[in-house]
Amino acid sequence: MNFKIFSPQDFPAYLPKLNLLYDDLFSGGKGFRSKLVQIVADPLALPLETQNLLCQTIEFIHNASLLHDDLVDRSQLRRGKEAAWHKYTPEYAVLAGDYLLARVMVNLSQFGNIQLVQFTSETISDLLEGEWLQDSVVGDFFVSLEQLDRIHHLKTASLFRWCLRAPLMAQNNFDSELHKNLNEMGTILGQLFQRSDDLLDYNIRNDEGKALLGDLKSGYLNSFGSFLVKDFDRSSIDQFIKSTSMDDIFKCYSVDVVQGQNIFNQKVEQFDEINTKLINLYKHHLNELDQKMKSPELLKSLGVLTDVLYWRRKPSH
Amino acid sequence: MSSFITLKKSDPEFKKHLYGSFSGDNIAIPVATLNLGSVEETITFEIKKKSDIKKPIFLILFFNMIKIKKYLLILVPLFYVLAKNYVDGSMYDIWSLFLAACGSLFLFAGINIRNDVIDHITGYDRVNTSEELKPIQEGWLTAADAVFMSWAFIIIATLFAIPVMIKQPETAQVVGVIIASVLIGKIFVRKSYKNQHFGELLLFILSGAGLVSGYQVALGAGIDTEVLAFGILWGWSVLFLLHLNNFRNLLTSSQAGIKNTVTRLGFDRAKKLLNYWWIVFLLFWFAYHHFYGSVFWSALSNLILIFWSIPTLIKISQIQSPVGSDLIDAKLAGYRNFLLMNGILILEFGWYVGTKNSWTL
Repeated sequence: MNFKIFSPQDFPAYLPKLNLLYDDLFSGGKGFRSKLVQIVADPLALPLETQNLLCQTIEFIHNASLLHDDLVDRSQLRRGKEAAWHKYTPEYAVLAGDYLLARVMVNLSQFGNIQLVQFTSETISDLLEGEWLQDSVVGDFFVSLEQLDRIHHLKTASLFRWCLRAPLMAQNNFDSELHKNLNEMGTILGQLFQRSDDLLDYNIRNDEGKALLGDLKSGYLNSFGSFLVKDFDRSSIDQFIKSTSMDDIFKCYSVDVVQGQNIFNQKVEQFDEINTKLINLYKHHLNELDQKMKSPELLKSLGVLTDVLYWRRKPSH
Repeated sequence: MSSFITLKKSDPEFKKHLYGSFSGDNIAIPVATLNLGSVEETITFEIKKKSDIKKPIFLILFFNMIKIKKYLLILVPLFYVLAKNYVDGSMYDIWSLFLAACGSLFLFAGINIRNDVIDHITGYDRVNTSEELKPIQEGWLTAADAVFMSWAFIIIATLFAIPVMIKQPETAQVVGVIIASVLIGKIFVRKSYKNQHFGELLLFILSGAGLVSGYQVALGAGIDTEVLAFGILWGWSVLFLLHLNNFRNLLTSSQAGIKNTVTRLGFDRAKKLLNYWWIVFLLFWFAYHHFYGSVFWSALSNLILIFWSIPTLIKISQIQSPVGSDLIDAKLAGYRNFLLMNGILILEFGWYVGTKNSWTL
């Protein structure tokens, strides 16, 4: 599916650099969020055009957030390529992000479902609040996991909630019980996805070879980082934030790197245990959803998501 | 192994799970809440076996329940009334004051436990989590048990109050005003626990002028301007603690639609409120000591408090985020200011008592 174009009017060719910028941006993504939309939309038998609209909506919002995020974080790379603000200008990156969000509203309002427009606007608003708050804790190495969860609830989980609920809304299904269920599930998925992504930073289940300690080097203590330093004193935290390699991290626990690594691995197990509880809560909501929807196909697809998102396993496993 | 259950407010089992009366062997701990405070409220409970819950020793549980750390709020005013009247030679009815003090200790315990129950039932403690351990949230005891405990303490407090009101009828008037205020507050809470403006006013009156006036009349010494001035000073400082706590919960309270002075002002202006509030407190302190304190204690305490307050004021003004760790740091710094003020008060009034008795070091 081409996520970039929904309507021929989306990105006028006469605007300089606009299409080049979007070509770069849309070409490297995995489109995970749009796949999530399809997982819910397929069993509902939504028309293909509606599915396209929803998939493109979520990709537009997500990519707009990336454009703004990279500028806020001053990240020079995005998906292995030069970030838009760096390649073009910060001004173009801001305008391009705004333009994507504006197109979302244009396309969705043409669809004519006011509840969906309202829900999407709320999602964008949550996302921006999350980004704003995240920027306010950069350089805060004493921030707690619970405090970061609040940020991720807004920033990451809002899009997951949208992916699960928007297809039902597009079908004019506003059953509040169903939406409550999906809302909770979306929140948990978002939190698990974020925590798993944060683990990659510390080389845990990092099969995709993500650069290590990127968040820490940018002055941001992510969820796993805050879990690791929870019981540290000030001097250990100082040592932790100066780490440039995993060995440095292990040395925060013990001068002997091997022993330090063992303690670190125990911490990973404890973190996994916390998240296993979240996964159990997700399964509980999934069972409740099953009783309400009776859609084995949907249940099966949603059932494997925690494996894919948190444990980073392939769906067939 | 625990399990989960999701219940709607309209479900007859909903209240039973919240109060913990649904089972003799299990306990229900709320883990997720949707549409809090509305008829659509839905809570997901984690069901755990009571035998699987690790409880602390009884004393820790008990101190957590009655909020032992908050007892300074009623004990320091009691010490003030005792010392002031001892120095003034107006200790007319020490037994009534003793009974009133015992009553206030039990009443305070009952109110603190009741507050925990209300927070649990309304969901306030799920919106605004805190660093303190909450026994009901931890599953150490059920809300139904806590209700029983709170009533027991309130009844004991009433038993202490009756002889005081008989011996010192003026006390009945103070108690009457307090009960009327609490009842009005209760109506407001029923209407919506989310609107806390009246609660702030109530706390200012009850914890300050109301409390010291109660002690004063129980002693048979009557209310005077010095006691009222101290009540205002004390109530103002207690409200500072409340604003600090509300500031720590600014984000979650705002998201839940809770209205108080801090959420009304927002992040940037609330920081100014906290600083101005403490500066006004220092002015009250100065004025109180100017009229009623000795020159020595006035100068010394003002210097110490001003010197100590400057880093706190800077810390508060430098808070960057409504979710960051500096929120907790600033709250602790504010609490330390309050504790220092308590320490100075105790030393100062101990000094006055010592001077009267010609104690020497």
